[in-house]
Amino acid sequence: MSEGAAPPLKGVRVIDQTDAYGAYAGRLLAGLGAEVIRITAESEEASTTPLSAVSDELDTFQEFIDAGKKSLYLDSNYKDSEALEKLVESADVVLGSEEGPAPGYWLESNPEIVHVVMSPFGWGLAPSWGPVDDLIVLGQGGLLQLGGYLDAGPVGAYGNQSQIASGIFGAIAALVGLIERRSSGKGNHADVSAQEAMAQALEDSLPTYALTGKLKSLRGESAREAGTGIYACADGYVSMVAGRLGTAKAWASLVEWLVAEFPEAAELRDERWADFSYRQSDEANERFTEIFERFAADRTKAELYAEAQSRGIALSPVSNIRDLLENEQLAARGFFHRFYHERLETEVTVPGPPFRLSRSSQPPLEEAPETGSDTEAILMDLGVELEASDIAGTG
Amino acid sequence: MTSVTAPLKGFRILDFCWIGAGALVTKALAELGAEVIRIESRSHPDNLRLSPPFRPGTEGLEASGYFASRNPDKKSFALNMKEPEGRKIARQLIEKADAVTSNFRPGVMEKWGLSHEDIKAINPEIIYLVMPMQGSDGPHRSFIGFGSTIAALGGLVHLTGLPGRVPIGTGTHYPDHVPNPGHSLVGFLAAVYDRIDSREGQRVELSQLESTVNIIGPAFLEASIGHVPNAVGNYVRGVVPRGVYRTNDDMWVVVACADDNQWKALVAEASESDALRKMGALGVVERDSAIDEIEKAMDQWVGALRREEVLRRLDSAGVPSGPASTSADLLEDSRLRERGFWHTVEHPVIGEMPMFRLPFVRGPGSRRSMTRPPLLGEHTWEVASELLGMDEKRFEELTEAKVLY
Repeated sequence: MSEGAAPPLKGVRVIDQTDAYGAYAGRLLAGLGAEVIRITAESEEASTTPLSAVSDELDTFQEFIDAGKKSLYLDSNYKDSEALEKLVESADVVLGSEEGPAPGYWLESNPEIVHVVMSPFGWGLAPSWGPVDDLIVLGQGGLLQLGGYLDAGPVGAYGNQSQIASGIFGAIAALVGLIERRSSGKGNHADVSAQEAMAQALEDSLPTYALTGKLKSLRGESAREAGTGIYACADGYVSMVAGRLGTAKAWASLVEWLVAEFPEAAELRDERWADFSYRQSDEANERFTEIFERFAADRTKAELYAEAQSRGIALSPVSNIRDLLENEQLAARGFFHRFYHERLETEVTVPGPPFRLSRSSQPPLEEAPETGSDTEAILMDLGVELEASDIAGTG
Repeated sequence: MTSVTAPLKGFRILDFCWIGAGALVTKALAELGAEVIRIESRSHPDNLRLSPPFRPGTEGLEASGYFASRNPDKKSFALNMKEPEGRKIARQLIEKADAVTSNFRPGVMEKWGLSHEDIKAINPEIIYLVMPMQGSDGPHRSFIGFGSTIAALGGLVHLTGLPGRVPIGTGTHYPDHVPNPGHSLVGFLAAVYDRIDSREGQRVELSQLESTVNIIGPAFLEASIGHVPNAVGNYVRGVVPRGVYRTNDDMWVVVACADDNQWKALVAEASESDALRKMGALGVVERDSAIDEIEKAMDQWVGALRREEVLRRLDSAGVPSGPASTSADLLEDSRLRERGFWHTVEHPVIGEMPMFRLPFVRGPGSRRSMTRPPLLGEHTWEVASELLGMDEKRFEELTEAKVLY
C-alpha cells in the first residue's frame, strides 16, 4: 500500500464534459489525485438516462462513475461562455464526448491541453438516431457473438461495460497525453471508440476466423469441455477451468478428488477420460457435468472453492454481491471502502482502487457531487463574475 | 503528411508477462512506442504459443494465431531463467530498463531474485508491474484462476444472464481483455508520469480480482441502498424493447428503444406486425408493464426477416439498432476500417494476419505502423550485443549452454 507520497496527478486539473461513454475516465483520474471538474450545462439537466425516465431513484451507475469529482453548473450559453474558456485555459486535460467539439478543438484555446474525446464509435461517426445504448456497442464490438443462450440469444454483460471500457481507455489516452506533453511541451488529443474498446475482447475468435475461416458462435449454458465450465452446486454455481494446456495436472487432481469422495465418479478413471480430445466431446461433457453436479449438490460454493484450490484446481465461486462483501481475501486486504453517504443518508460500501501504487498515495473516492455544488468556488477562483443564472442549478 | 506519434519512445520494458492479460498490457505499451523485450524460453514456452488457432498446415511455437494477436511490436529475448546465468543476465538487462512487467503467481519473481526490493537495489527508477490474481498478500494470494473464473469470482458472471437460468457471463475470459490490462495500464502510466518529476520508480500491483470488482461498482451502491442486484438479462427499466433478436438467416440484431419517438418509429416500420401495431400507442411506463408481449412480438417480427433487411429498415426509420457482429463483420466494419483499427502484418510462419490496435486515434499524427509478432528468441543477439555488449563468442557459449535458449 501507499507510503504516502503525493498522488501521481496532484495538481492536474481535468475538465470532464463526458457522457456515459467517458465518465469512468474522470473517476479513474480522480482516483490518481487529479482535480476533476464535471460540467453540467443547463440543456443537459433534463437527463435522458433510461432509469430516470420512469423513476426518481438514484442512478447508481452515474453515482459510481462521478465519485470523487467536483461539479460545475453552467447555463445554456455555456458553450461560448467566459467561464468555460477560462476553465480550459487553467486545465491540463479536457475529457469530451460525441456531443462536444472535435478532438483537438480545445488546443486552440490552450495549446498545452490534452483533449480526449470518448464516444460509442469514434467522434463524428455516431448514427443519426441519437444516444447509443450500451447493448448496441457490445453488439458492434463483437462481444455478443460470444456470450448467450442457444435459445434466448446473446445477453449483454452487466454494468454498461462498453462505457466502462471506453472510460478506461480514455484515462489511458489522457495519461499518455500528459506524459508526451512533458517532453514535447505541446498539447495533443485522442479519439476513443467504445466499439474498438470492446473489440479488444474478442479472445481467439478473430484470429480463428482470420486463419481458419471458422466463425465462433454462442456456446450456450453447457460447459466448454469436461472440467471447464459453470456448474451448479448446493447454494449456487462454481466456475472451473481444468484440463487445457497448463491445467492438465489439474484434471488429474480433479479426478482424484472426485473419485475419493464420490463413488459414482469412479468411471473418470477410465483411460478415455485421460484423453483431452475425448473430454471435448459432447458425450464426455454431458456425462462429466452430470457427475460433477451430483457430487456438488450437497457442497457449497465456499466448500468447493477451498477444497479445489487446495488441490491446485482453478475453481471459483460464482459470487454474488453478498459473497464479495464477505470475501475473506478482500477483507484481509482492506479492499472495500465504507463511508457515510450524505445524500443517501446511509453508510455505503464501494470497491477500493483497481490497482495499488507502492509510493504514491491514492485518495479514496466517495460521493458524487450534487450538480453545481462547486460552481461558486470554481468561478470565483477563476475570477469570473457570478450571475444568478450561472448557479441556478445549485441544490 | 502527418507525423506518427510514439509517446513512450525510448522507454524500455523487460516483459516477463505470460498468456493473457499481461501480454495485452505490453502490447499496448509497445504500440505507444515503448521498446518491449519479452523474456521467454524454449525450456518452458508461453502456453499461448501452443494455443490454437493455427492456420491449417502450420504448427509449432511460431504458428499460434492466439499468441500472434497479443504480441505485435515486441522483441523476443530467449532466456532460460532456470539457469543462474540466465537470472544474472536478467539483472543486467534490468539495469538498462525503465520497467519490469510480470503476471506470475506471487513468489515466482521472488524465487528468481527479482522481487521489487531486489530490483530497486539495482535500479531505483524501475516501474515494477505485477498482476497477481488476488493480490500478493492475504489468505488467497496463492489461489489460481483464469479470466473466466475471475469473472465468476468477481461478480460479473452472477449479474450477467437471464433470471432463473445458469448465469452465462460473457462466454469469454473478459477480465483478461479489458478491465485487467486496462486498469494495469492506468496504474502503470500514472507511475511513469509520476517518475518524470520524482525520479523514483514504484511497484504497481493489480489484483485481477479487485480490478474486476471495480467494473461492477454500481452493484455495490445498489446493495448499500437495499436492492439486491441480480441478473436481469438485457432488461433496462424504461428501455422497451431492448434485446437481441434472431433473424431468419440465423444472425442476431440488437434493438433498443429509449423513448416514445423511437418506439413509434419502430412500430410504423414494422407495419406487417399486428402485435406491435396494437401496442403502438403505449408510453414508456406501459411498455415496461407489457414487456413480455413486446419482446415476443419483436422475436416474431425480426425472426421472419433476414438480418440485412432488419438493419436497413430500422436504420432508415431512425430506430437504434445494430448487428451482433461476428468476426467476419468486424473485419469489414466500415467505422473500424475508416479509423484504421485493423493492421495486417505478414508473418513468416502464419502468413498474413490482421492485428487489432488500441481503441484510440491520437493526434496530431496517425496510428503507427505495426511490426509482426516476434519469433521466439528473434532478438536475442540484437539485445545481447547492443544492450549488454556481448561478443559473438560469449553469445555462442551461452546459446550452447541453453542459457540464451
